[in-house]
Order: sequence, then C-alpha cells, then structure tokens
Amino acid sequence: MNDRRVAILGGGLYRPGRVRYDNAEEGVAMAYKNMLEDFPKLDPREIEFVQSSYFSDHLNQQLCMSWIVQDYIGQHRKGGYRVEAGGSTPLDAIINAYFLIRSGQFDLVLVLGWEWMSEVDTATTNEFIASASDTDWDFTVGGFYNGYYAALETRHMQLYGETIEDLGKLAVRNRNNAVHNPFSQWRAEHGTGYVGLDDYYKDRIIAWPYRRWNCALISEGACCLLMGSEKMAKRLTSNPMWIAGVGLGSDSMRPGDRLVDWAYHGVYKADERLYPANVEKPKTPYPEMANFGFAREAAKQAYAQAGIRDPLKELDVAELFAPYDGVELCLYEDLMFCPRGEGKTLIRQGVVERGGKLPCQLSGGLTAFTHPVGATSLLQTLFLHWQLAGLVRKKLGDATLQVKNAKKAITTGHGGTGCQGGVIIYSKD
Amino acid sequence: MAKEPKIIEDKATPIKREWEEYARKGNWTVKGYEMVRALSGPGKAEECKEEDFMVIYRPHGVLYHHSYGLVSKFFKGLIEKHLFGTKCPKCKTVYCPPRVHCWNPKCRVGETEWMELPLTGKVHTFSVMLFSADAFLEMLPFVLGYVQIDGAHTALPIQVMTAPTDVFIGQKVRIRFRGKRKGDLMDIYAVPAKGQTMPENSCLHEYERNLEDLNRDLENTYAFLDKRFGIKKAQVERRWKAK
Repeated sequence: MNDRRVAILGGGLYRPGRVRYDNAEEGVAMAYKNMLEDFPKLDPREIEFVQSSYFSDHLNQQLCMSWIVQDYIGQHRKGGYRVEAGGSTPLDAIINAYFLIRSGQFDLVLVLGWEWMSEVDTATTNEFIASASDTDWDFTVGGFYNGYYAALETRHMQLYGETIEDLGKLAVRNRNNAVHNPFSQWRAEHGTGYVGLDDYYKDRIIAWPYRRWNCALISEGACCLLMGSEKMAKRLTSNPMWIAGVGLGSDSMRPGDRLVDWAYHGVYKADERLYPANVEKPKTPYPEMANFGFAREAAKQAYAQAGIRDPLKELDVAELFAPYDGVELCLYEDLMFCPRGEGKTLIRQGVVERGGKLPCQLSGGLTAFTHPVGATSLLQTLFLHWQLAGLVRKKLGDATLQVKNAKKAITTGHGGTGCQGGVIIYSKD
Repeated sequence: MAKEPKIIEDKATPIKREWEEYARKGNWTVKGYEMVRALSGPGKAEECKEEDFMVIYRPHGVLYHHSYGLVSKFFKGLIEKHLFGTKCPKCKTVYCPPRVHCWNPKCRVGETEWMELPLTGKVHTFSVMLFSADAFLEMLPFVLGYVQIDGAHTALPIQVMTAPTDVFIGQKVRIRFRGKRKGDLMDIYAVPAKGQTMPENSCLHEYERNLEDLNRDLENTYAFLDKRFGIKKAQVERRWKAK
C-alpha cells in the first residue's frame, strides 16, 4: 500500500429541520457556499471529482438526483457519482472519496450529502425507508425500522440486562447535548432547557422497548466536505483532520438469519463464550440478533490501520451512527470499548457523557441533532472536525461541547439492521 | 426455441383491471398546490429569513408484479396451509425463511432440499408495536415476533397474537393460518402454546415500571384507533382473546 495521506480539509452545512422549503439542490448549494467561505484560496475549478451521497429515490420522485445537484453548483464536466447503502450511505461516500485520493487518482474531492425526507407523510416516509429491509419477508409483517430495531434491542436486553433506564439516560444525554448545538432539530423545536429521566418516562412508547426519544429523527438537510491529499492540505488549510484508519463490514440482510450466521460462525470465540448460560444458544452466538458483527469487522480493520490497541483509552471523542439508543449501547461492545455485555456499564459510569472518558454524540446524535440520511455521517464528521480543530465555540457560538485537546476521534456508519457499515478513525496529526 | 412463460393459475386479473384505471387517473400530474411562507437559508434559525415557496401535490402509485423465484413453493405452501423450509444436504442447516442455495461458504452455493416443518416454534425476540407504517395502522397494537420454527436454525418474522403485555423471549408458540390467505407472511401468525409460566427474568416483566408504562401507552393507542378508524378496545382485545 502506498503512503499517501488523506485529510478532511473542512466543510459546510445547511441546517437540517423536520421540513425545509429550500429544495435539495439549493440546500446543498448553500452548504457548499458555507464551506467556500472557509477556503478563500480555493478556486472551485480545482476540485477534481464530486462524490455524492443520498439514500432514497422514493422520497423525492426523482432518480439521479446527484446530476441535478452537481450541475446546480457548477461542478459538472468533471467526474462524479453517488454511492448508496441505506444508513451507511454517507460514511461509505467519505470512505470512497478516501480510496479515490489514497489511490493517487485525485488530490481534491468534494463530498456532497443530503436528504429531503418530508415530501411524503411520516408513515409513508417510514414505509419507504423500511423498503430497505427485505420486502418479501421482514417488511410484510408490519415492519418499519423502529420495530426491527426494537426487537434486536429486546434480545440484547434479555441477554445482557440493560434496562429502560439505561436507554433513557442516552436519550436524555443526547437532548442535553443538542441544546448547545444551534443546528440541532431538538433545539429548534424545544429550545435550550435541559430534560431529565422523568421527562423521558412520560414520552410515548413507539415500539417497545423504544420511546419516540430513542428513535432517529426525520430530517431535511445537507452537508459537504472537502477532502484532499497532503499536498492540498498544506495549501488550503491550517487545521486538516487526517483519516488514520478505515474499515468496512457487513452482515445478513434479514436479522432472523443471523441465528445461523456461517460467515461469522466461530470467528469471535471470546464473544461467543460471553453468552448467558440461562438462555438457549442459537447455532451462531455472535453477533446473532443482539450485536452488530459488521461493526466489529470494520473496527478491527480501522484500529489496525490507525495503530489503536485500546480504543476506550486512545480515542477522545465519538460520533456514532446510532439511529436507536440501543444500537449505541451495542456498538460500545462491537467497537471493543468494553467486553460484550458491558455496554450498560459505560452508561452507568458516565463514560460516554459530556465530560466523560469517551464522550459520545456531543452533537446530539441522530435522535436529537438530526438524521437527513445521506448527510448524517458528513455532519458527524464535520462536527468531529470542529472538535479536533478546536472550532466548536466559533462554529456553535458556545464552547460547552468542546472536548479539550481532542486528538483522535471515531465515527461509524450503519445501514439496514446492521446489514452493512463502516468505521473511520480521524486524527489531528 | 425457448419455451414462452405461461400463466398456469390466475388470481391477479381483478387488480390488473382496477389498476389500469388508477394508473391513467393519477400519476405524475400536479393535483393542487399551496403557497407557504417559511424560513430559508443554511444557518441558525435566528439567522434565516422568510421566503414564499410553492408546494405542489403530485401522486405516484404503482402496481408491481414480482416473482418469488425459486422460493415460490414456500408462499404457495402458505396458501395451501403448509409451512416449508429447506435443508442443506451437506451441512444440514435448516432454513426458514427458506434458501434455495446454502449460504454456508463451505457448501459452495449448494442446492438445498425442501422439507415440511411443524407448526410450532418459540419466540426468539419481539417488539410491541404501538405505531407503524400506513398499511399496518389498523392492526395496532401488535407484537412483531422473530419466531424460530422447531427444527429450523433461523428465525421467521411473524406477528404473535397475544396480549402485548404477555409476550416473552423463549415463549412456545403454535403457528396458525388466517382464513383468507394471499401469499405472504401475513397469512400466518403465532399464538402462545397453553400452560406456560412466565420466566422470572423476562426483560419486559422484570421491572414493574415497564408494564405500567406499556399499559399507559396501549391505552393511548386504543384511543388513537377509536378516533382514526372507529375501532374499539374490546374489538382489538378480541383478536387475541378468541385464540
């Protein structure tokens, strides 16, 4: 492998909301314009390739939306294409741009991400998203993702004993972070007051064990990132954020098939052994329907590349792709922040809180900041860039969420019911 | 010359006729619009200014015809009140949902064999659904279960017809067929087998608060059903009380 380094040079955003009336190409254009303000030395004609990221064709009655967007901002003539992988779409777009630069093919790539999700009513939005599950099988029985994910969380809860209170703590933390993020949907809709567990318990159950607060938002918004080689980083910015490692993984389409998951069978023996004795074991005990094998696969690769041996100790800040709070808890285990079954302990000890050893979802995450699918990992990455560059006060007008001296960060992508996804490790140096 | 495909049973003509007309009526033409004054711009809400937007209403409906492929036998089986799975002759894995090709890398996409499965199983995991997609709203509240059929190694997503506060992981169930069957997984549902005791460590039942809150929101769901569809709580409860 060559030794070319790749960096996030910066980015811009279009504030997401439940419904926005500027349309998608205008939103992307405004995010792009917002980014250009940080790069006075950049001639837009220097950008060599445009990597687009959006999830659904159904939501907007439009195929090939990226052609509209790319020409709208005058970035046509040069090459460009979209990647799509459900919730993992935006992370995969970043990783793909990384491959394009790392390979030596390009030095400067623009990544554009967006999603406009409120052009149909809420139940239909859920239905369209759920058509990313197997429509001959899982979808048919009344599914939407809240239901599938709730069933996965029930299984993990039965095996490893986390409680509704643990899930509530994450929901409360996300909101109490989001009030300090003026780009968050929670703050736009609920103002700047803190909430507590009592408020959480009053919230409506959608799909037990999940309440509304535990579930990802529906959003319209956009984000863009400028990514470049070392040469470009030197010329265009004083605070690049380097990609220190990437990893990708996948698992079965239907979660019910993971009970006999031959691709994973016997691969993670330690996790297989950490299976409670009083519950009947399926043929393949890890990840089965409780954990996310794709995330373990991806983390292994990313940590190896980044030279990380003890992630909880070496990472300073995390923005995880957690559309449901139980996903975040499981990811602690799959990303090896702790052994299998100990996810709840990190919550109870405050490790993942603001001011904790590894603060997660300082932006408010997918449940309180925003989740315009194709833009989500771009927004989380931009947020991490602000963290590592020490720009939180400047960008948010409030330094509460700034992690001091943050040097290494992690973000994840997550599609389907954990069918596919990845991990990126970012580094200040 | 290759043989032409031939329709050997037709249960689709009525919908094909109905849809012909629908497709002509609605699709892709603007049926109405609104003018909306709303915030515009990329920044914080307080930095955005108002603009006037024209919002059009444009329907889009489709009728797909989709082959179930080589697992058609499974779905035809449901209509005829049989539950089929497949078994790999090499590694002996039993699939339900069936796979016509074994996914064990050691079996090199080997073909599986069909087998009939018993109408019994157990709940591997579940969710109590109090909200869902449009198509399923009238079925609320329901239990979305992943049920491992006895003898199969995988889990099948089906509804468990039980009081939502009674379901637990490991619950033994019987598979029942609906009276009207159309050829998808909604043709079957599970009912709890009789004479089981609730295990002490059931995650839904372990904490009193879980059930209190679930009962509170079940009442909210009943109120929603009454308001939206005129469906009464007693009618809903009859769905599982009759089983």
